Amino acid sequence: MSDNDDVQERKATSRTALAFGVTALASIGLAVTYFVLGGQEQLEGVLLALALGGLGFGFVEVAKHLLPQGPYVEEREALPSSDEDTAAFAADFERGEGWLSRRGFLLKMLGLAAGALGVAALFPIRSLGPSPGQSLFRTKWRRGSLVVDEQGEPVGIDTLDVGGAITVFPQGHLEVEDSQTILIRLSRADVVTRPGRELWGPEGYVGFSKVCTHAGCPVGLYQQQFKRLLCPCHQSTFTVADGAQPVFGPATRSLPQLPLMVDEEGMLRARSDYTEPVGPGFWDRGT
Amino acid sequence: MGMSRRLVLASLAGVLAAGSLAIGLHTAGATERPGRRDAGGGNIERGRRLFLVGCASCHGQSGEGTAQGPDLRGVGAASADFQLSTGRMPNTAPDRQSVTKRSPYTRREIDDLVAYVASLGPGPPIPDVNDPPGDLQEGGELYLDNCAACHSASGNGGALSVGRDAPTVHGATQVEVGEAIRTGPGNMPVFGPGTFTRQQVNSIVRYVEYLKKPEDPGGLSLGLVGPITEGLVAILVGLGALMLLTRWIEPPAVREEPPAVTAASPTVTAEPEPATAPEDQQ
Amino acid sequence: MIVKRIVRWFDERLGAARFVRTALNKVFPDHWSFMLGELALYCFVILILTGIYLTFFFTPGTKEVVYNGSYAPLKGVSMSQAYESVLRISFDVRAGLVMRQIHHWSALIFVGAIIAHLMRIFFTGAFRRPRELNWIIGVTLLLLAIANGFTGYSLPDDQLSGTGLRIAYSVVISVPVVGVWSAFLIFGGEFPGNEVLTRFFVIHILIVPAAIAVLLGAHLALLVRQKHTQFRGPSRKERNVVGARLWPTFTAKTLGLFFFVFAACAALGGLAQINPVWIWGPFQPAAVSAGSQPDWYVGWLEGSLRLLPGWELRAFGHEVPNPFFSGVLLPGITFMLLYAWPFLESRFTKENREEHHLLDRPRDRPVRTAIGVAALAFYAVLFIAGGNDVLAARFNVSVNFVTNVLRVSLFVVPVVAGVLTYRLCKELAARSPTAGEPEASPGAELISRTEDGGFVEVEEPARTP
Repeated sequence: MSDNDDVQERKATSRTALAFGVTALASIGLAVTYFVLGGQEQLEGVLLALALGGLGFGFVEVAKHLLPQGPYVEEREALPSSDEDTAAFAADFERGEGWLSRRGFLLKMLGLAAGALGVAALFPIRSLGPSPGQSLFRTKWRRGSLVVDEQGEPVGIDTLDVGGAITVFPQGHLEVEDSQTILIRLSRADVVTRPGRELWGPEGYVGFSKVCTHAGCPVGLYQQQFKRLLCPCHQSTFTVADGAQPVFGPATRSLPQLPLMVDEEGMLRARSDYTEPVGPGFWDRGT
Repeated sequence: MGMSRRLVLASLAGVLAAGSLAIGLHTAGATERPGRRDAGGGNIERGRRLFLVGCASCHGQSGEGTAQGPDLRGVGAASADFQLSTGRMPNTAPDRQSVTKRSPYTRREIDDLVAYVASLGPGPPIPDVNDPPGDLQEGGELYLDNCAACHSASGNGGALSVGRDAPTVHGATQVEVGEAIRTGPGNMPVFGPGTFTRQQVNSIVRYVEYLKKPEDPGGLSLGLVGPITEGLVAILVGLGALMLLTRWIEPPAVREEPPAVTAASPTVTAEPEPATAPEDQQ
Repeated sequence: MIVKRIVRWFDERLGAARFVRTALNKVFPDHWSFMLGELALYCFVILILTGIYLTFFFTPGTKEVVYNGSYAPLKGVSMSQAYESVLRISFDVRAGLVMRQIHHWSALIFVGAIIAHLMRIFFTGAFRRPRELNWIIGVTLLLLAIANGFTGYSLPDDQLSGTGLRIAYSVVISVPVVGVWSAFLIFGGEFPGNEVLTRFFVIHILIVPAAIAVLLGAHLALLVRQKHTQFRGPSRKERNVVGARLWPTFTAKTLGLFFFVFAACAALGGLAQINPVWIWGPFQPAAVSAGSQPDWYVGWLEGSLRLLPGWELRAFGHEVPNPFFSGVLLPGITFMLLYAWPFLESRFTKENREEHHLLDRPRDRPVRTAIGVAALAFYAVLFIAGGNDVLAARFNVSVNFVTNVLRVSLFVVPVVAGVLTYRLCKELAARSPTAGEPEASPGAELISRTEDGGFVEVEEPARTP
């Protein structure tokens, strides 16, 4: 080995030793950080990185400068088995399997057994959840449900200013996901009622399902000047004044409108549940 | 009391008054003004004259509004103070979203204008954000329920339709936050007294104040933007560094040397192949 | 020596000398790009180590509790057990936050390393016969890694990941015929339900890691059986592998790499905050934050959901809603194409029907390289689209405009990228023609393995040029 190689080796050795020393020191530092300082995230991370990095550096230095480099050559054998091996395998396998091929009826019965048991084994999956039934077609809103805000306080005709918007629920069902409703107060002049919905928006109040008809995110961005609702997830945009029609983005359907009314005490109540399923579409939504 | 004593007391009072005035003027330009504002602090007549010069062309001679600017009767001191303090008004580009900028008015001029606009009709007063004192936890819950959808959980703001945005809340003073909540500037909804109590508004104000310097125990906050910046850091910094590292471990050297003639391992004497089972060939 | 005694003790019972010797002499090619797979492997190890630690503190479950820990803004607020336990890990368990952050950072790098490794395999043609099976295993590993990432970051039940779960639910119910039932079985009913967190916990800590471990074992076993591919170069032929031996050199290198990967994750874990769930707040079904994003490796799906305009199929009372096309069909086709690629390519390329152990330079396969770059460009546009609102707010542009521009770019950019890449490959290949079968330099001595594992020097047979 030449002198130059010697020098290289010694340099690598001392670098490696230094690196391992850093690891040791950093580990002590970790002990101090944990037990004396009571923990500190940045120190923990940096010291751990130093400790691990020292080991890493050392090993790589050893690999690059102190260990045989090669390059070595390894021959490949052919991957497919040799003919003798294949024949021997076939012979041995035949011993175990040959009797089956002559018993077609047994095989079929085995197939029936395995298939049936296999299917039966899937039954417990049914226990994972309830039948959907009508769940997606109904919310917790009913005729006369009192409209309450997220603190449970009843909402009356004085709750919102024109241009205001809050999230409401039916009383007794706070935070039920499918019943979340965004209540907006427009000026009466701005409301363009759809046919059949003339009584749904008393005093300029309009309520829409807050569950986006695209992928279910809460449509929480009410843009007061544009009178548009914007869903922050995929930017579906709905025009509030005429029944929350989608005008941009991937939503294909208006937000269902909650039919509202005002009771004798001036409190807002629902006339009925939503008249269509809320939220994103699904296969038999139209049935 | 003797004359000299009265003189001393009078001078003391005068010094105090002058001192307060000096301090008041000194802090006039600062953005941190958490204290109360007297609704009656400005001069209506001076305000009217300022209004005619700087506002009437868009808002009408008596604030009744024109095609370029809305009716200001009834917007209240809160709205006027918000728009003027943040520099949104005067609005130099009325077809676009008004932006925060340096106001051309002094604090006293703003107070005068506010007093004048407030006199045009009853409207929300400048809120007192310290009384009743806000509750940080309640503020957090209300913020996440009502504000985060537009302004994002971190307060960084967010995009609205067609180029508008809900701005970052980090630059607003506590009073401005309270005013914005009550008056619903621009596309922001209005949260009046029927919607939020004063306690609730002040709680939100307190939480927004917290968001300016939230706890970041994990290290660099990366602007609290979220998974996008985290992903960029992970790939560009983390994976990038590691890939560079692999090039250090295995430098792409030009390998012209032949494979090294190394001490071949001693040949293992070949054993006779078993008759039946093939050996594991590696 | 004590070591000799221990080794003899084992050998008397296992007789492993020949096997271990064979293993230790395996040759590994010496190109840096062969370490990308190892990057992923070591991230997996780090995930397991930090993950185990986290499981000692995390409580999956939606039971409502009132927070009483050190993070003041949430004191007294009611939240799920899961969220509360993550707050506890972050603020009240010493070294908890750094463990959590290392875990999350290494997950982000894990998927990135897998994709980098996949790109190396793709662009060099390493998936060709006989390695199609390993390619299939590898793509499955990618799928599993993404799945584990998604289930993992949904566990804290914070507002951000909860929003993602709602979207996932909607994508599941969009599947025709079986979608609603599937969602009800997976989630245990209507969204959000009380089951999905516990189920995701089991999937995340047990089912998927076990599947990854098994498949990883198969992946490596195939690698050992079939041996590495290698780049062309002096003395490198289809019939051999040239490089460093597993023991001692490669062992040292790879061990070093492991420590470096761990060090990088530790540095990030301590210095860069990730997923500050206390800012997002506990999950509430009626709340959402502007700028909500999934973790980066799901970003392309998010972009797909945002870019598809308001189209869907409706007929006879049934519908195939919009999220099906962007959230099920697109990723389905993506992974189907990924799985099928080796077979597609060999259908159109006669030479793929033979074994290949020497790698292509990307420039020598301009069609494959161009298609690969076009595909990357496609998914890159989708990824950017996933953050369209953040981009719009950051650069003060209309989000509607950004969305429309990206819709067009989705089709234009990949085509342009593909064509440019094709031209570039042709140009580069013309300038540096492929070497033929490389010959050993004269005077070299080759060592060769005998069938039973021994090494002999071989006479270099006379070569025909």
